[in-house]
Amino acid sequence: MQKKYSLLISTLKDNLAECDSLNKLALIKSQYLGKQGKLTLEFGGIKDSKLSERKELGQVLNNIKIQINSLIDKKSESLANTNKKGQLNFFDVTLPGRNISSGSRHPISITINTITKILNNYGFTSVSGPEIEDEFYNFEALNIPASHPARDMHDTFYVTDNKLLRTHTSSVQIHTMLTNKPPLRIMTPGKVYRRDSDPTHSPMFHQIEGLCIDKDINFCQLKGLLINFIEQFFSKKMEIRFRPSYFPFTEPSAEIDIKFNNKWLEVLGCGIVHPNVLKNVKINHKQYTGFAFGLGIERLAMLKYGITDLRIFYDNDISFLSQFSVLK
Amino acid sequence: MKLSTNWLKEIAPGIKIDNKLIESLTSLGLEVSSVSKTKKDTIIDLDITPNRPDCLSVYGVARDLFSIYGKTIKLPKQKKIAIKKSQLPLAKINNIISPIYSCLTIENIDNKVKTPQYIKRRLNDYGIASNNIIVDVLNYVMIEIGQPMHAFDSDKVNGKLSVRFGKKNETFHALDGQKYLLNNNIPVVVDSNRVQAIAGVIGGEDSSVQINTKNIIIECAYFNPEFVRLASKKYRLQTDASYRFERGVDPLMHSFAITRVLSLLSEHTTLHKANYFQKENKLKINNKIKINIEQFEKILGQQIPKTKIIQILKRLNFHPAIFKNFITVIVPSYRFDIENEYDLIEELARVVGYDYFKPITLPATTSIDIGNNDFLEKYLSFFIVRGYHETVSFSFLPKNSQNSFMQSSNIITIKNPISEDKSELRTSLIHSLIKTYKYNFSRQIHDIKIFETGKIYTNHKSNPMNEVNTISGLISGKNYDSNLKVDTKNISFFDLKGDLSSIFPDLKFVPSSKIKTLNNSCQALIFQNKKYIGYCGEISNEVYRENSIKNNVYIFELFADDIVMKSSIIYKKISLFPRVKRDLTILVDDNIAGRDIIDIIERESFKYMINIKINDIFYNTKEFGEDIKSVSIEFCFQDANGTLTDNIVNKQMDLIFHHLAKCFKAKLRK
Repeated sequence: MQKKYSLLISTLKDNLAECDSLNKLALIKSQYLGKQGKLTLEFGGIKDSKLSERKELGQVLNNIKIQINSLIDKKSESLANTNKKGQLNFFDVTLPGRNISSGSRHPISITINTITKILNNYGFTSVSGPEIEDEFYNFEALNIPASHPARDMHDTFYVTDNKLLRTHTSSVQIHTMLTNKPPLRIMTPGKVYRRDSDPTHSPMFHQIEGLCIDKDINFCQLKGLLINFIEQFFSKKMEIRFRPSYFPFTEPSAEIDIKFNNKWLEVLGCGIVHPNVLKNVKINHKQYTGFAFGLGIERLAMLKYGITDLRIFYDNDISFLSQFSVLK
Repeated sequence: MKLSTNWLKEIAPGIKIDNKLIESLTSLGLEVSSVSKTKKDTIIDLDITPNRPDCLSVYGVARDLFSIYGKTIKLPKQKKIAIKKSQLPLAKINNIISPIYSCLTIENIDNKVKTPQYIKRRLNDYGIASNNIIVDVLNYVMIEIGQPMHAFDSDKVNGKLSVRFGKKNETFHALDGQKYLLNNNIPVVVDSNRVQAIAGVIGGEDSSVQINTKNIIIECAYFNPEFVRLASKKYRLQTDASYRFERGVDPLMHSFAITRVLSLLSEHTTLHKANYFQKENKLKINNKIKINIEQFEKILGQQIPKTKIIQILKRLNFHPAIFKNFITVIVPSYRFDIENEYDLIEELARVVGYDYFKPITLPATTSIDIGNNDFLEKYLSFFIVRGYHETVSFSFLPKNSQNSFMQSSNIITIKNPISEDKSELRTSLIHSLIKTYKYNFSRQIHDIKIFETGKIYTNHKSNPMNEVNTISGLISGKNYDSNLKVDTKNISFFDLKGDLSSIFPDLKFVPSSKIKTLNNSCQALIFQNKKYIGYCGEISNEVYRENSIKNNVYIFELFADDIVMKSSIIYKKISLFPRVKRDLTILVDDNIAGRDIIDIIERESFKYMINIKINDIFYNTKEFGEDIKSVSIEFCFQDANGTLTDNIVNKQMDLIFHHLAKCFKAKLRK
């Protein structure tokens, strides 16, 4: 009995092998499974067989039916996917997806976000302040009196006789320290303005400052934090140099250089908060010490992305901007 | 400052010109910006910070290097001369302007002698042109030891010299050929007739030393930095002298400087009688500072051995005296930057070298989060997903560019702009976006979606110098990338509205014609929870025309601080029973806004209705009449406790239709 059916299957296989279209396949299917189909007739024969064999026969025929269906389905699938020459149909997955135009964050924002994310892990939170400032917040409270030569480092835009566009985000430190009690850990990203315009200076650029005020803050901690910060920002070990510099609002002051292509490049200024600054904001400088650091966003972005022309940041050429679409 | 290393070696013979020197200068805080070789010399260009005027000379740099090297410094050759105190050939010296004033008079000097080559070369390497031997020697000594001096032709000086403040309307002809109008803040040197110099800044034309000058007065003074700076700032005039005086010149160098000048002059030219006068010193110098030795470790975080501390302070000429845990120092007259303990701590740190200090971890903080700056930050990425590029533009706009929509009294202008096209602060970000649009359009990019965040600035009596955080955007071109199988359309108002509604919750758009930069018939004020938060629409015909823009451009501007984002969500139980959808198409007057129809239905809270939206708007004058539109509305019903039957839903639909008929005279469209 089994033999009879295996013959049925092998004839089917032969038929299928010769079949080259879905129409012909439909015909084959009806020859086997249709109302007058070969297998259908076999099922019809069950009622003529012995009572004891009926159950077994039913099971066998059901298995055969499953086998036939599966063979025909497979053939049908292969016919659908092949062309007349028997080759696989070509489905072009390389065509573009629909509505793929994706925007981008500006590299300045990406850089600010990268920096704030790192510093946030050290407990620094982001604070903002006004861009139009008094001399007090921008200079005097930061230990830069009117007659001080350090004001030459800041060529300032004025909007009235005593209102100016902030020349650094350090002014936010003053606002924050006057309204909050230590311990403090803040960072202040934002726009700053200097009356300067050439290929390496822009009248507007971005800075971020960090300020940490607490008991027992010292220079070694400042070094530790900033070395970690720089290496996390560039995601690699860096050759880093601290050297003495001068900012009226920190003492000792340091400038940090990193080695890029065998050249030392200045990336960051920092120092221990000058006691005069703490006095100006009525924080007891015997009880609290602190450090502050500031860096130029554009400069770090240029180093990180290999940008050589500062002005490209403000042209907003979409061909430039869209290069940053993968970063958030 | 350009430092000749040959010159440095003359003063500090123990110092080798090598990499260690470069490193030592940098680690002392005298940043080396470049090293260059000339025929006979190596020139180191130093960036001297404003706090270190004591290093604005070869001698000053050698003196600072001594703190590291400890090798002897040789003072250059001087010619001894007796000082006559208080017998100045001068009338009155204002003590506030010049507490210490000295001068050297020389008679019958031959100024026709050529300046020796080495002096010429060193001046040239420094960046000063050679003039005549008197002027050259004065400049040479200034570079050598840091004391600026000025020579007057005494035959051109009428009567005695005085130092005083200028007078209102007084004028001065300087040797740069310029005429300066003085006032009573400007320190001047005068004779009995006229002003002969702006003290510490520049000398006069008449009394300047010429090749045939015979008799001279050489002024060697300490000028109050504050007044020199004021004058130099006022006239935008920075000279080698004013640069040093306004930072601070060692008041105790006069006799050294004068005897050095005399030595050089008598070496290279002929002169007869020379007299040296000095006014009594009225300047307080040599401050004392006391510091607890533990302070060093407390601030620096790492111990420096006591013996090292003492050695460094000695080498820096601080004359340390120790008593128990305290060190008392006397600040040298040339260190204007040393005022308190922190300054001493920095001195120690820089001489030890910042590399000495090992980085350590910053301990965890107990400070509280006072952050106020990143509120909207996380929402901006939604713009990116919807295809917007973020831009960053200058806060400045060209002069008069905002007059068409903003009163000039409300615009904040820069008093000292860098150029006319950057002379006003922006009162809206729209200008910047249009500029960016045009920039890209001219570079063949026509499908543009951009946004920018930044402040806008306005000046109102009630709110002067106001800064508002703003998010603005612009869209133009096709709504999708042209692509296979997608029909692209020109962007419309509703693309913009869709973007905004998907990013910010609960926005309500109210028809408007108030915004001057926008088209009267295509603009909306945007409200959120009844609060006005911005506007959007198509740019006005005027803006199209002014900027020669051909494609449709839509913009929005939102005041970021007024936007509220949902901060918490309370879960509502979801119904397990099927939803039923129904459509209703009505005819209403054309001027009834879609939002009003939705509002009036929502306000009634019809039973089981969970959602409502407008599906289609359709006009057909023939069929409906003039100014009548067909509005199709889709409703969705659901009951929390059971399956809704047709009867129940039909009853609700009847109620809704009757309500619309009552409110808007709506008719059912057949």
